[in-house]
Amino acid sequence: MQLYDDYKEHVDFLTIYIREAHPTDEWQMKSNEKEKDDVCYAQPKTIEQRVAIANDFTRRFKFPVPFGIDEMTNGANDAYAAWPERLYIVGEDGRITYKGGNGPFKYDPKEVRAWLAQRYGEVKHPQPPAEKKS
Amino acid sequence: MNPTLKWIGISLLALVVAAYVVLSILAGGPKDALYMVRYALPHMHRGNLKVGDQAPDARLVALDGSTCFHIREKPAGRPLVLVFGSFT
Repeated sequence: MQLYDDYKEHVDFLTIYIREAHPTDEWQMKSNEKEKDDVCYAQPKTIEQRVAIANDFTRRFKFPVPFGIDEMTNGANDAYAAWPERLYIVGEDGRITYKGGNGPFKYDPKEVRAWLAQRYGEVKHPQPPAEKKS
Repeated sequence: MNPTLKWIGISLLALVVAAYVVLSILAGGPKDALYMVRYALPHMHRGNLKVGDQAPDARLVALDGSTCFHIREKPAGRPLVLVFGSFT
């Protein structure tokens, strides 16, 4: 997660795993079935199942961001109206500073990057050299 | 049949069909539109939180499956970026 690498010295990050968006026993997406993705899980019914999927995810992607799993009561999800995916920034004073839209259509990490860049400066990455036209 | 009622019925049917077509486009197909209505829409909420509100707390489970901690556990001092999502 590039955003985490770029700004972890300035802000804390916390990923919160919530109920699955496209499990096999609900609205499964074809893209999740493709061999390269192979992300096929039923909706967890127990916290042990959630923990197992969360561990699969963090291991597969070597996910470096601090991670928490929502309890089966969905307390975090309900408090933040987070499903299926959403971004927030909580300020130093404990108040919501940024509230992103519901994913997938309004989920926009660029807005978080813009907020962080405005506060801590833009982090630029070298662009890969453009291929020469033959 | 009363012609007015007939046209109201036809208009409503046309609206339902149009809504279903739009949903199908958004969801990726006619079957996906049904799944979206059945499984996605009941869980999608805009939420009441607003910028400036106190950030709510909730208990989370760590990856080890046994340790619990709270979203707002860390002492204030640095902003906190919350990334909600799932694997699928």
